[in-house]
Amino acid sequence: MNTLKQTASAIGLDVGTSRIVAAQRLDKDIQFQTQLNAFVNLPFSKLTQGVLKKEHIPHLLQDSEITVYGDESERFANLFHKETRRPMLRGVLNPEEKDSLLLVRQIVTLLTGEANGQGQKVCFSVPAALLGADQEVNAHESELTKMLGEMGYQARSIPEGLAVVYGEMESSNYTGIGISCGGGLCNVCLAYLSVPVFSFSIPKAGDYIDYSVANLRGEPATRIRTIKEESFHFNGQFANKTHQALSNYYEDMIQALVASLKDAFASTQSMPKLNRPIPMVLSGGTVLAPGFLDRFEKVLRASEMPVAISEIRLASSPQHSTARGALVAALSEM
Amino acid sequence: MLVRGMVVRLVEWRAVWFSDPAQRLQYLRREMARQQDAASRPARRLGHATKITIVFAFSLAIATAVFLRPETRRLLGRTLAAISLPAISATKPRTNSRSNFKNVELSVPSKVWLVETNQDSELYSNGLRLQNKYLTGTQPRSYVAFPRDRIEPGAGQWRFQPAGIVFHTTESHMAPFEEGHTSTLRRDGEGMLEYVRRNHSYHFVIDRFGQVFRIVRESDYANHAGHSIWADDSTVYINLNQSFFGIAFEAQSRHEDEGLPVNPAQVHAARILIEMLRARYSIPESNCVAHAQVSVNPANLRAGYHVDWAANLPFHDLGINDNYHQPPASVLLFGFGVDSVLGDAGGEPLRLALQSAEDQLREQAAAQGLPLNRYREILQKKYREAHSALHAKGVLGENN
Repeated sequence: MNTLKQTASAIGLDVGTSRIVAAQRLDKDIQFQTQLNAFVNLPFSKLTQGVLKKEHIPHLLQDSEITVYGDESERFANLFHKETRRPMLRGVLNPEEKDSLLLVRQIVTLLTGEANGQGQKVCFSVPAALLGADQEVNAHESELTKMLGEMGYQARSIPEGLAVVYGEMESSNYTGIGISCGGGLCNVCLAYLSVPVFSFSIPKAGDYIDYSVANLRGEPATRIRTIKEESFHFNGQFANKTHQALSNYYEDMIQALVASLKDAFASTQSMPKLNRPIPMVLSGGTVLAPGFLDRFEKVLRASEMPVAISEIRLASSPQHSTARGALVAALSEM
Repeated sequence: MLVRGMVVRLVEWRAVWFSDPAQRLQYLRREMARQQDAASRPARRLGHATKITIVFAFSLAIATAVFLRPETRRLLGRTLAAISLPAISATKPRTNSRSNFKNVELSVPSKVWLVETNQDSELYSNGLRLQNKYLTGTQPRSYVAFPRDRIEPGAGQWRFQPAGIVFHTTESHMAPFEEGHTSTLRRDGEGMLEYVRRNHSYHFVIDRFGQVFRIVRESDYANHAGHSIWADDSTVYINLNQSFFGIAFEAQSRHEDEGLPVNPAQVHAARILIEMLRARYSIPESNCVAHAQVSVNPANLRAGYHVDWAANLPFHDLGINDNYHQPPASVLLFGFGVDSVLGDAGGEPLRLALQSAEDQLREQAAAQGLPLNRYREILQKKYREAHSALHAKGVLGENN
């Protein structure tokens, strides 16, 4: 497996609900590695174990089960007609999965290499507090810091929205609004000259759309996710009721996101005075649906935001923006 | 301030010289940290280095104006003009400004923190042990709340944090609370917990031994108070499944003169659970209410569809102000009538509050020069419109 370990001086990690992405700089290029943040348990058999070993499929043996994790979990889930499970839920370690931290560690190891970190700097993304919530000691953040520390890294966290700003807004001197629409949460950050002014998250994101449509249509969420990723688009012409439902819940998410953004501006006590419009960048897997940008822009422009927005654009590589920003943050501390 | 703004503009201009994104970020973070530090100090205490920077900034600006090539001057001019006085003071998002009812004293619960957690339970610093054996989930909480002074479809605001607590009774089978019935008590409790888990009925249940079970995840809604209305002095909440936590006591409601339907272990458990929730989510006391105070029947527009805790909820023993005296928002703001069942089940404090709401309604109608019935119709129409708007947004979910 091609990992990032060989020459990485610093690593950026996007620890997301559905995927973990690692970024490192090799010369002037940034290289990304991605793994699904998922696993599937299979009943133990020597035959299965033998096949997994032979094929170099990442797995763990636990009690009477075999746990396949990372990208391969989806393939094995399909083979065994099972649903994959998630070590994380809505941006944080899943309290209902007892091995959540162990599995995240295994997946991070897949991405960064077997050996320990030897003091490398790692900057990893964490979700911001939900809008309106008081900041509190974040058990998720401290558990990941401890885990990466045990792996030999010098770990620091960065709010996901701020990582998007660092990953995508160099041209505006890291001034603007970064939005990451992931699986569990939408994370938002307004930064001014690299300084975060506000950050928050809302719990409506890709999983919310998948599960809501799945409930409505009586189909598994995995199937809805596949339909969403492979054939859904916002062009007003819906081939079937699933597409129609996806559109409704996407709309719901967008409306909630824009309303939250307005609330955040309204409740921020000290805003820098901006005499020029600021850019906004959308990133994360949930923004990849064709037509998402147009729909979002329409809702935003109709909402009378308290600051002028110069442009709204998709990130250059929406699924890599957070990891890229985390890497830039890590490198800036060297 | 003007000088500080100039310096920040120069920092921004200087940052463009760094082509490496990490170096640019490093430079900006360092310089902005310096500016923030300077902004937090009185002007006369500016350090020697800062003074030099200011002098340098002015000198550079003058030199630029005089000597630089026109295109460079234009570039610099644009940069300097772009942002006025951008020095950022330490910015801190305001916490939710949820003020209480005017005559209710605000008490801030002390900090409660998580001490220990494992797969089965969580221990909090105030002694609360939350058991997760029956934990389940629904969907993330999200709801639309209306400003109290503008209850209309377009005025709703999305929110994601819990705003209050509704107290319920499970109305399940009650064996005598005696040692000889321990196994029956346990069996009844487990059956009830399985039932509420399947139906996502509450966020928390306190069984008869004072054990606290988390049923629906705190981040999700539960089906505990679908047709319901409450308001504090700034915000109106319709459908409290989404906006309020549901805490149920394993108990059956009793009439006012029949005494408390819960035992001291349950009261103590509820008290420390409420303390934890209020500390963690900044929930005001005025939004901690009985199900009977909030439940409505939208079909006949009457308050009091459910009447659990219509009397005897021991507010003071739970560490919160007695909220029975608050006029129910369904009557006061939406002109609901009062179901006779609620009138019968309600204790004296709730009956007085309902009477007070009716009196205020009558006064408001008179002030508007309208007959009471006409005024009620106007308020009820407001409810229907707000309810329809919520339905259209898909935030009503299951009702009960």
